[in-house]
Amino acid sequence: MLSITNLHARIGEKEILRGINLEVKAGEVHAIMGPNGSGKSTLASVLAGREDYEVTEGAVSFFGKDLLDLAPEKRAAEGVFLAFQYPVEIPGVSTTNFMKSAVNEIRKYRGEEPLDAVQFLKMFKEKMAYVNIDQSLLSRSLNEGFSGGEKKRNEIFQMAVLAPKLAILDETDSGLDIDALRIVAEGVNKLKSPDNATIVVTHYQRLLDYIVPDYVHVLYKGRIVKSGTKDLALELEEKGYDWIISALVD
Amino acid sequence: MATDTLATISLSKEKQSSLDRFLAKGFPTNKWEEWKYTSLKSLNDIEWNWNTSEHSVNSAALALENTCEIQSQNGKMTLIGSLPQGVEYLDFASFAAQKPEFMQAFNERNPILDQNPLYDLNDALASSHQVIWVKKGVKLEKPVLHTYFASVSIASAIQIKVLIYLEEGAELTWVDDLASSEDSKSILSNYVQEIWVSKNAHLTFVKTQDFGLSTTHVDHTFIFQADQSVVDMFTFSLNGGLIRNNLHFYVDGQQVISNLNGLYVPSNNQLVDSHTVVDHRMPNSESNELYKGVLLGNSTGVFNGKIFVRPDAQKTNAFQSCKNVLASDKASMNTKPQLEIWADDVKCSHGTTTGQLSEEALFYMRSRGLSLDAAKTLLMLAFVQQVIDKVEIPALKESISSRVVAKIQQALSV
Repeated sequence: MLSITNLHARIGEKEILRGINLEVKAGEVHAIMGPNGSGKSTLASVLAGREDYEVTEGAVSFFGKDLLDLAPEKRAAEGVFLAFQYPVEIPGVSTTNFMKSAVNEIRKYRGEEPLDAVQFLKMFKEKMAYVNIDQSLLSRSLNEGFSGGEKKRNEIFQMAVLAPKLAILDETDSGLDIDALRIVAEGVNKLKSPDNATIVVTHYQRLLDYIVPDYVHVLYKGRIVKSGTKDLALELEEKGYDWIISALVD
Repeated sequence: MATDTLATISLSKEKQSSLDRFLAKGFPTNKWEEWKYTSLKSLNDIEWNWNTSEHSVNSAALALENTCEIQSQNGKMTLIGSLPQGVEYLDFASFAAQKPEFMQAFNERNPILDQNPLYDLNDALASSHQVIWVKKGVKLEKPVLHTYFASVSIASAIQIKVLIYLEEGAELTWVDDLASSEDSKSILSNYVQEIWVSKNAHLTFVKTQDFGLSTTHVDHTFIFQADQSVVDMFTFSLNGGLIRNNLHFYVDGQQVISNLNGLYVPSNNQLVDSHTVVDHRMPNSESNELYKGVLLGNSTGVFNGKIFVRPDAQKTNAFQSCKNVLASDKASMNTKPQLEIWADDVKCSHGTTTGQLSEEALFYMRSRGLSLDAAKTLLMLAFVQQVIDKVEIPALKESISSRVVAKIQQALSV
């Protein structure tokens, strides 16, 4: 599904990604871990198409298409979804209106007929159950005045509506208490299928108790320095990142 | 000079003195403090027909359930349909004859004209005020719709003058659907409204300005409010070559509420200038001003908001806010709040902001599948929605929203 080869990216003069290689297949869950400043969020942003970053080298192919060549909205239409670490507040636009616009733009891209109001109502009802989100929240201005948990739940609701092939969760656990974390993780798990894949970007192992990864990668100074199974995450939780970093120096 | 031909028009003595005042000053240029960003100098280069008899029909006028419709075609006003009990449509002389006690107040009124000779021009050339008079306690459920349309084959100046009088406890919603044709020759549309809102009366006034590019529209609205009266004023400047709105509130009573709402979306080389004055002359009243603008293309916006709180106007609450989005690098906005407060026990606040659409919000929306233009349109509409939502007539709200969206989409597609 996703193939990242020797990806280099910088912001201004500062090189942040320095040769990332990663293969993600349908049905897999990958966790990207690493200390602060290692480039985790940059990787998520570059995959989603944030324009602040300049890709200087390498390639990303998504179902055989050059992902880096596509505008962010085209990537979304191709099936990439980024759940933001800090979902943006958009005054005056309700989640439902926003999702109606997004879904129909994507359907247009794919050459499908737009959904009508009745179809949306039915679909929203169904997806709301995934993350236990309330209609009243969806009618309010998007993310405006939402609590941390509400924002993340809203992200997963949008993910459920857009049904991406590749979901990238950027520090979805930050700012969540344990109950909210469980609800969000359950939503993600329900959306898992043999046809889609998930990349979980996280600093802590905590989230991985709920979203169990098939692979864990440790990012350090813009490179994946160690990969393993979910046991690697447990080891990191116990020993921290230092043992890997010091092993690198040796 | 285009104004030379004015000297040949024969006028009554009073009108002649108004004309002389106009001729002494001429059209404002940006050397004048109140016209710093809005020069009308180029109007001098046009050979104006000062008294058009051309006919114009607006085939696209707003369809709105109404009490009655008043049509203005190239400045000629006609009442369509009949008026309900307690509402009269009459000329100024007949009104004055029936309401002699009003004449004293009328003659003593002292509008702030902000160096505005176009008021004098209107006074000289317009036929007398057309009066709409809503009598004591009469509450009209449906709006009075004024469809104003201009279209000319030679450059023409159009003057109209309206006086709206609400007696004690009366309620009126007035909708001004102002438009001109896209392919008309130059139009100078010069529109004066003097509005009297008596004790306990409530006026809602919604103005939509949707002109062709060859139209220069100058609007003068003077509102005098008595005790416990409420006015909800809306000015939607949707389209036009140049629009200058002069909106003046005179708070002559206590427990008065004055709400000023404005929205402008100029594009191309258009200019919209909103000059507002709220003159608190009596204590215990409240004014709320909310103006929002989206500036597209090469357009220019001007906001000048004056609030006066006179020495007698203790316990005044006066709030003003003007927020703008520059949707293009070439657009500009000039804001100037001006508060002059002589009373000491008052609450006043003002704030103006001019910014750009948030890059972060745009990326967020695009990452969910919206095209850049769709994301911008949605953000801009959301930005102005607050003003549109205050209009309580669904069909009108709908019409304004869709015109704003169409305008934004058109500007983005260039």
